[in-house]
Amino acid sequence: MADDEVVIPGGYACLVVASVFAAGLLALAVRLKAVQIDSVATLAYSGEKQSVRLVRTDGIRGRIIASGGEVLADNRPVRSIVLDAASFQKRSWGATATNIMESIARACEIVGRPSSLSERDIARHLHQRLARPLSVLRDLTDDEVARFSERSDELPGFTCIETLDRWYPRGSLAAHILGYVGRDRVEGGGGDEKINYRDFGMHGRSGLEIFYDSFLRGVPGEKKLIVDARGFACREMTTVEPKPGPDLVLSLDVDLQDEAERQLAGVRGAAVAIDPLNGGILAIASSPGFNPNDFVPTLRADLYESLSKDPAKPLLNRAVTGSYAPGSTFKPITALAALAAGVSPYEEHECVGYFKLGGMRIRCSRTWGHGYLDMPHALKESCNPFFCDVSLRVGTNGLVAAAKKFGLGSRTGIDLPGETAGVVPDAAWKREHWHEPWYPGDLPQMSIGQGMLLATPLQMARVAAALGTGYLVTPHVKADAPSAKLPIPWPKDDIDHVRRGMRLVVTEGTGRRGASNLNAYVLGKTGTAEVGAGASRRKNTWFIAYAEPCDFAQNGETPLRRKDKTGSVAVAMVVENGESGGGTTAPRVREILRRRFGER
Amino acid sequence: MKDKLLNFNWLMFAAMIALVALGTMSIRSAGLARETIFHGMWINNLVSASLGLAIYFALAAVDYRVIVRYASPFVYGASLFFLVAVLLVGSTVYGGKRWLWFFQPSEVAKLAVIVFLAWMLPFVSGFKGFFLAGLAAGVPALLILAEPDLGTTLALVPAVIAMVLVAGVWSRGLVVLLGAGLVAMAAVLGAVHEAEKPGQDPERRAKILKCVPLRPHQVKRVKTFLFAESDPMGAGYNLRQAMIAIGSGGLRGKGFGHAETNRLKYLPPSVSMNDFIFCVYAEETGFVGSLSLLALFATLCLTGVWSAFRAGDLAGRLIAIGVSTLIFAHMYINIAMSIGLVPITGLPLPFISSGRTFLLIVMAGLGLTQSVNLHRNEET
Repeated sequence: MADDEVVIPGGYACLVVASVFAAGLLALAVRLKAVQIDSVATLAYSGEKQSVRLVRTDGIRGRIIASGGEVLADNRPVRSIVLDAASFQKRSWGATATNIMESIARACEIVGRPSSLSERDIARHLHQRLARPLSVLRDLTDDEVARFSERSDELPGFTCIETLDRWYPRGSLAAHILGYVGRDRVEGGGGDEKINYRDFGMHGRSGLEIFYDSFLRGVPGEKKLIVDARGFACREMTTVEPKPGPDLVLSLDVDLQDEAERQLAGVRGAAVAIDPLNGGILAIASSPGFNPNDFVPTLRADLYESLSKDPAKPLLNRAVTGSYAPGSTFKPITALAALAAGVSPYEEHECVGYFKLGGMRIRCSRTWGHGYLDMPHALKESCNPFFCDVSLRVGTNGLVAAAKKFGLGSRTGIDLPGETAGVVPDAAWKREHWHEPWYPGDLPQMSIGQGMLLATPLQMARVAAALGTGYLVTPHVKADAPSAKLPIPWPKDDIDHVRRGMRLVVTEGTGRRGASNLNAYVLGKTGTAEVGAGASRRKNTWFIAYAEPCDFAQNGETPLRRKDKTGSVAVAMVVENGESGGGTTAPRVREILRRRFGER
Repeated sequence: MKDKLLNFNWLMFAAMIALVALGTMSIRSAGLARETIFHGMWINNLVSASLGLAIYFALAAVDYRVIVRYASPFVYGASLFFLVAVLLVGSTVYGGKRWLWFFQPSEVAKLAVIVFLAWMLPFVSGFKGFFLAGLAAGVPALLILAEPDLGTTLALVPAVIAMVLVAGVWSRGLVVLLGAGLVAMAAVLGAVHEAEKPGQDPERRAKILKCVPLRPHQVKRVKTFLFAESDPMGAGYNLRQAMIAIGSGGLRGKGFGHAETNRLKYLPPSVSMNDFIFCVYAEETGFVGSLSLLALFATLCLTGVWSAFRAGDLAGRLIAIGVSTLIFAHMYINIAMSIGLVPITGLPLPFISSGRTFLLIVMAGLGLTQSVNLHRNEET
């Protein structure tokens, strides 16, 4: 520096300015540290929260397979055209919706099928499911897919995707057991706060599909969507792959099921065939039926109307939900109760064609009377007065207890939804439900399966099984479902006396047509329950049977029973408004049994 | 010649080049969130920077005294003319009349005022001098305010104050005025706080706001600044997104091109390239990047002050201090508003925001500062 340099003013001011700069920079640095280091977690979380959406995705639904390996509920690939709203963005939502509407019209023209989407659907999609694809056309034919692919470059934003739809290859077969699925219509996470969207999967709506819904669904997966400020999806990544649901293997025998449905075709009624050894359901038929494929993905409104308004109630599973008076099929239980009460199987009672107690008369099927009968023959002839007579010695409590030992009046615990318990009435029950006292006549009524007594076909099939094997099983449709076995608490001799009667039923009694010429050892019991009064009086006709494979002696008549009971079947069938158990129902049951055992 | 190269402030030059590089990078990232035509904006920025570099060297080579003495009155006059012209025939962008043909006269005016004051201030003194300086800065400032562009006006104020302070014109009065200004600012903030605080009676609110010299949208910004969380989807939206962007950058940032808040348009694309570009930069580079940027600005501005300190005469000192303060004020207000230190103000971040006129003006200003360095030993 030269000595003669003039001093320029403002040197100190420069230092002041520099200090201000330094202070300002320091303030920025301190604040930046607070924002970028100290608040990074909260701010990064806010950023994540506003831009990340979680989608729950369903795995492939497990199939439902009959015991023979036949697939009863399958998944069918379905091709659909979907659009991503992000490709149709305009400045305003209204313009975006219009753009989408117009583009859909263009796409539909190219594919050659009109779309059912309305402006409201589009608006709702933009509002609720913006970040997810919108399904435009479902279930395309090969031709439609070809037309689309050919000109897909004219349709940016549209893609053809393949999804799986539930498919029941045998149509209406076992419809009541299988049930059906419907499209999920739950918005958001379906209860899970974390989840923003769910891919519209299928969920069970009835039958096994709903009972084993979570089993069949498998483990859901998760997708992460990154959405932009307007909510359009930008990227997506799968964070958790869904696990497919396992196959549900049933004890169901397709042949028996098929035959049971065939036998019920045209009438109202239900049939249950059960494996008496382990409780596995072999067939459950309910008539009239429906085709579960009609419900996938959604049931047409008119079809729903006709199904739900049909007086025959085709959606009702009569086998587990229908309660019927069991009629004479209850008599074996009365018989066992009587034996336990000290009635000898050999003692004979006189039937004069009716039973009279006070002012009440109960007619017998043979109006002129059976004369003197012992217990097995009373069963064979289904003689009402005999059982009314012995019931007086059993008493209400004894009969109720016996009925309950056979599982009546409570649910069997089958793995199907909607099971009813039926009714085993006693004084308390009657007072509560009918507001009437228990009359002396109620007991004989119950002893012949009439009056207030109600049972489901499933319960009666279990009764048939228990009479055959001596123990009560828990019925189940899933092959490996746990099943309890409870011995019925009667001495084997007592049960054998009843079996003798039930054998007579099918060899020469009321149920002759239920087992004729079958390659099996069959026990059976017919039932004809009268319901209603006056003009609406009608008869529900029953047949229950227990059948086990057997060999026959050389005369071709005498059955030689085997030790190994594998292959046994217990069946219960009810036909509404029939003629008689022996005439209407027994022949139908025979056909079911024939299907399993064949003819001699 | 060798002498002059020794006087050239290489550190200042290097900081500028580094800032241009970071700016180009940020513009590229910010452009990715927008329509395709914006994807190439970073190339435009490079072209502008090359032009700016040419101007930089040209102005550095010329003795600043020549420019101050002969050019400054004309430049000043011309910029006044353009400021009037833009009000009459300018095109409207985002609610302000800022564009005249291909440039923004208000940006040019910033440098013109500095150069003009560098010419004028050495010859004036006392209150009269202060008044003249105020007039010289005030007329263009009012014209800019009329566009309206409050931010540019605000950014000019510190530069003018620093220059007047350095020139020593009416120092005592200036200090008093500065104090009064601070009090006024505090009063305005206090008044808005009182008017907008939750649960305030609307009538009383209206009464208070009547006395506050701010437009409704400015009141809103001050309110957002004071009550950041009150309206995160409305007035506070930009600030909230700016904070999310900067904060989620963390220590090291998300990496180049990964500014999610920007890419997903949570930070409105219309501002992410200009006033809020710091958010894009900070989200991608994190605290490390933010500090580096501050360090570069510190280098640039403090070498500028150093140039002023070592200047050969008062005019040179004024130019250097004016340009440095102008850049510092822009940088400070811009970054501070993004992190909630000051109310939101529309102001570019020098070198980082996209904007040709401002980039050229800043580089020209630095060229002049470099000229102050190069020609400090020459005789007047």
